[in-house]
Amino acid sequence: MISKEDLEHLAQISRINLTENELEKFPKQLDKTIEYIDILEELASDDSVNLDLQELRFEELRMDEISMSDDKQLNKNITEDGFLRGPKMK
Amino acid sequence: MTKLDDLLAYEVVEGLTEGQFTAEEYVISILKRIEEVEPKVHSFITLDTEGALSSAKIIDKKIREKEDIGQLAGVTVGIKDNISTQGIRTTCASKILENYVPTYDATVIRNLKENGAILLGKLNLDEFGMGSTTEYSRYHPTHNPWNLDYVPGGSSGGSGAAVAAGECTVALGSDTGGSIRCPSSFCSVVGLKPTYGRVSRSGLISYANSLEQIGPICRSVKDLIMMLNIISGKDAMDNTSIPSSPITVPNKSKKLNVAVIKELVTGSDQEVAKSVFSASEKFQEIGFSCEEVSIKNLHYALPSYYTLASAEASSNLARYDNIRYGFDYPIGEYNWDTYFSNVRENFGEEVKRRILIGSYVLSSGYYGKYYLKARRLRSLLRLELLTLFKKYDLLIGPTMPILPFKFGEKIDDPIKMYLVDVNTVIANLAGIPAISLPIGFSNGLPIGLQIMAAPFEEQKLIDASYELEKVIHIQRRPNSI
Repeated sequence: MISKEDLEHLAQISRINLTENELEKFPKQLDKTIEYIDILEELASDDSVNLDLQELRFEELRMDEISMSDDKQLNKNITEDGFLRGPKMK
Repeated sequence: MTKLDDLLAYEVVEGLTEGQFTAEEYVISILKRIEEVEPKVHSFITLDTEGALSSAKIIDKKIREKEDIGQLAGVTVGIKDNISTQGIRTTCASKILENYVPTYDATVIRNLKENGAILLGKLNLDEFGMGSTTEYSRYHPTHNPWNLDYVPGGSSGGSGAAVAAGECTVALGSDTGGSIRCPSSFCSVVGLKPTYGRVSRSGLISYANSLEQIGPICRSVKDLIMMLNIISGKDAMDNTSIPSSPITVPNKSKKLNVAVIKELVTGSDQEVAKSVFSASEKFQEIGFSCEEVSIKNLHYALPSYYTLASAEASSNLARYDNIRYGFDYPIGEYNWDTYFSNVRENFGEEVKRRILIGSYVLSSGYYGKYYLKARRLRSLLRLELLTLFKKYDLLIGPTMPILPFKFGEKIDDPIKMYLVDVNTVIANLAGIPAISLPIGFSNGLPIGLQIMAAPFEEQKLIDASYELEKVIHIQRRPNSI
């Protein structure tokens, strides 16, 4: 069962404020979803199954190369001296 | 003569090349059609009338000067609004991205433009692709052109509805758990989710990277072949993309081995099951062999899908902090955590539910219980399907277990909504290609057949769809609107 406290904790680690209405109706809805996926417990834990569907070889990856982009157009919080302004950490 | 706005993509290219009409005339006919039906259907979030007209003029000039015009010249394309378009707002139907204008084109958009396609604008979806009806769009729902009281399917509901309503020649959608095939089925058009890796995802705004692919939605199989060949290919910007051979228009019928997936048919509405059986009879009539098979691990597919998709969503959507881009919310004196949480209140309910579920299944106590088990199931399912594909060329069943439904019917119960994806998630989990082809109607509501093939065997999907399309003539555009 997901309690209101559990939900608040999940919301906090997901960095999402929930509205009063969501705090009210989400516990029941999330419970039903978790109850639905609980069926996965029936599956055996089998380490012999390869979990990667697509194998990527290191040598096939492209090099990390710096290139300039037009991100200035995007940055709505860029300051006059070229820095990005964000909220204070504390 | 067929009305200009009713032409298929290959007919547009032929007509332009032969000088029957100009690209500008064709685009104007489509824009008029949009003006006429958009107030009822609501397929678009952003319409780029000026851009479309100016691209048409460029093509006409090239024709006059006998320059190469490209394989999709003049074809008007609607783009799902989670695919980045340089200079055109790309919202993902979210308020979080309401002001976001990408500074680059997705690779598929570059491919389309290089081949003379004309971009019309951005089409509606459920917020970030999470939903099956477009009711979770933060702008407006899209209505099914076959009956405006019904949902068009989703998440690429704008794409399915726009193609069926004749608001564009073809469209691009994206498919994470059925988002191309569901609206294709509900709107009586053809939609393909390619093999994972056939089409570059560069510029597709991520929801669940390991599951999703961009794909075409069209009114004919021939149009779909043209679109698929243009957008396929290895791309340096997407390391999961893989080179593939081009698809050809079938010139003689091949004999294929088809198997009907028993569980998918028995789990469907009677009318839907009846149509699938009649399609399988048609396959037999054209010389295909047809048997029934069972998939042992099918029962676990949908819970695995929702576990994996939510886990990936919670990680992908963590990037939306409203600092570099986003909606208007002043930083003021907020600290980081408060600001971050406050702005993310602006996500819609379904997106929040999936982020929360994703955080839950990835948290240390539950990671082994849900996330790892879901990944194991995914591998087992793929192995089981690959074994079946050694015996059969194609696996078929209904795309959707039910007929299109009315607005509001499932919106209050997330599980009810998730259950409509039960047939389509298989292909995403296994990374295999799957197409939805119109096969009939019940009470005026469309029914689609899903055909799946082994990885990179799109040619077989196309061969079978092309043959079936020839013998069952299903209307692709409603007369009523």
